[in-house]
Amino acid sequence: MAAARRSPGSSPHHTDLCCRTVLLLRKMRADVSRLLEAYVEKQGLDKNFSLDLVDGVPTASTEQWSEASDAERLGDNLKAYWAFQTLLNEILEEQRSSLTPNDLDFHESIQSVLLQVSALAYQLEELMVMLEHSVPAKELEGIRGARERGLFEKKLRGMKVLQELAHWSVRSVRDLRQLSKPVQTGAIPHVSCCLALKK
Amino acid sequence: AQRHSQQDSHTQYAQLGKDVTIQCGSVDRGAVVTWTANNTDLDASHLNGSWLVLRHVDLSHSGQYSCYEGSSWHLKYRVNLKVGTPPKEPVLMCRSNNYPNGFYCSWHLPSPTYIPDSFNITVKHDSKEIVCEKDASPKNRCYIRYLHLFSTKKYKVTLTVTNALGRNSTTISFDEFAIVKPDPPENVVAKPIPNNPRRLLVTWQYPSTWPDPDSFPLKFFLRYRPLIIDYWQHVELSDGTSHIITDAYAGKEYIIQVAAKDNEIGTWSDWSVAVHATPWTEEPKHLTTEAQGTETTTSSTSAFVVPSTTKMYDSERQAN
Repeated sequence: MAAARRSPGSSPHHTDLCCRTVLLLRKMRADVSRLLEAYVEKQGLDKNFSLDLVDGVPTASTEQWSEASDAERLGDNLKAYWAFQTLLNEILEEQRSSLTPNDLDFHESIQSVLLQVSALAYQLEELMVMLEHSVPAKELEGIRGARERGLFEKKLRGMKVLQELAHWSVRSVRDLRQLSKPVQTGAIPHVSCCLALKK
Repeated sequence: AQRHSQQDSHTQYAQLGKDVTIQCGSVDRGAVVTWTANNTDLDASHLNGSWLVLRHVDLSHSGQYSCYEGSSWHLKYRVNLKVGTPPKEPVLMCRSNNYPNGFYCSWHLPSPTYIPDSFNITVKHDSKEIVCEKDASPKNRCYIRYLHLFSTKKYKVTLTVTNALGRNSTTISFDEFAIVKPDPPENVVAKPIPNNPRRLLVTWQYPSTWPDPDSFPLKFFLRYRPLIIDYWQHVELSDGTSHIITDAYAGKEYIIQVAAKDNEIGTWSDWSVAVHATPWTEEPKHLTTEAQGTETTTSSTSAFVVPSTTKMYDSERQAN
C-alpha cells in the first residue's frame, strides 16, 4: 500500500478510522464466535480440546500489555491479521477440498470472516501510516511452506485459528483504546477512539 | 477416692452415625476400668472389657473421655473425641471483578464437617502453576494476578479439602474472559427534575474495584419501575454514568437499580442497591406559606428531605 504522507494533525480522520476499525472488530468478533461454534460442531470436535500443541497461529496472549508503545500495538496487530488472512485461506481451502466439501454456507461464513480480516488489516495499515509509524514487513513465506498435515491436525488447527482470532479481536479493541490514552510524556493522544469504543 | 489425673490428652475423630471404640491406652483388654465422659461416669453397658464402645455416635458424643484403673483410680488414658463427617465435594468459584489485574477464587463446603478442615488450592495456566495469594480474610479465598492477558489457554483450578475423616476435591477450568464480572455500580442516586413531572435523573459511579475504566470501560443496564407495578423497564447504556428517565408516571414512587458489564467480555454484575425517587410534582396553589417540598430520595440505606427553600436543582441545563 503506497505510504501516503499525512500530517499527524488530522485527528478527526484518525478518530473516524479508529472508530470504524473498532466497529469492524466487534462485528468480526460476533461472526468469529458463531463460526467457531459451527466449526467445532461440523468437525466433530470438543470445544474443550487442548490446543496447546498447535503452533504457527498468532497468539493474542501477551505479558506486558499495558507497557507496549502505539507502534508495537499496531504492528503486532497488523502482523497477526496478515497471518490470519493466510491461515483462513488455508482453512477455507481445506474445508472446500476435503473436510466439508458440500457445505457451501459454511464456506461462505469463513469467506465472510476472511474478508473482514482483510479489511481490518487494511485499516490498521492505514492507521499506522496516518500516525507515521513504520509499517512492518509482511512475512508470509514461513506459513505457506508448512508441512502436509493429517485431517485431524487440520481440524484442530482451524479451531485454534478461530479461537485466537476471537481473542485477538478483543485485544485489538483494547489496543486501539490504549492509543487514545495520553502518553506518559503528556502529549495529546493522536487518536481518540473513546466514543465508538464505548458503544 | 482421689482420682489422679496426670495424663496428656489425645484426640480421636469419629464419623457421625458410626460406632466408635476407644481403647484405654495401653491397658490390658481384660483389665477392670472406669470410663467417664466429661467427668461423668459411664455405665458398664458401654464397656467391652477395658474398651469403651459408643454406638451410632452423634455430635453430642463429642467431648473428653477418661479411663481410670479400677482399684487405684489412677487415670490411665484421656482422649478428646470429636464427632464429624468427611468433607463433601467443595464448591469453588473464580471471578474477576478487577480485570485486567487478576481474579480471585473462593470456596465453601456444601455442608459442615464439625471438625477442622484444611484446604489446598492449585492454579494452572499454560501448564504452569501460578501462586494463589491467600487472603487474610475471608479465609476461604485467594487471589491470582494475571501474568498474561488475552490468552486462549484455559485456567485450571483444583481445590482439595482434607480432614481427619476423609478428603475430597473439585476442579474447574475456565477462559480468562468468561469469569470477568464487575461489582455493581456504586453511589446510585435518583432525583426528580424540577418542573418535569415525568422525569427522573439517575446517576451512579463505576465500582471502586474496577481498576482502569479508561482502558476497560463498562457499559450499564438500568432497570426501573413504579413501586405499584411489578414490571421492570430496562435501558442499556454504553456511555457515561447518568441517565434521565423520561417516561415516569407522574407522582408515582419509583425503584431503580443499575448493573455493569465490561464492554467486550464477561457477564453482567449483580444489580446495585435499589434507590427510590418520585418525579417532581406541582405544589398545590392554595398553599401560601413555604411548602415543605418533600422529595424523597431514599436508597435502601439512607433518605433525605429537600429543604423548603430548595436551591432549584437546575438539572434541565445539566440534562441538555
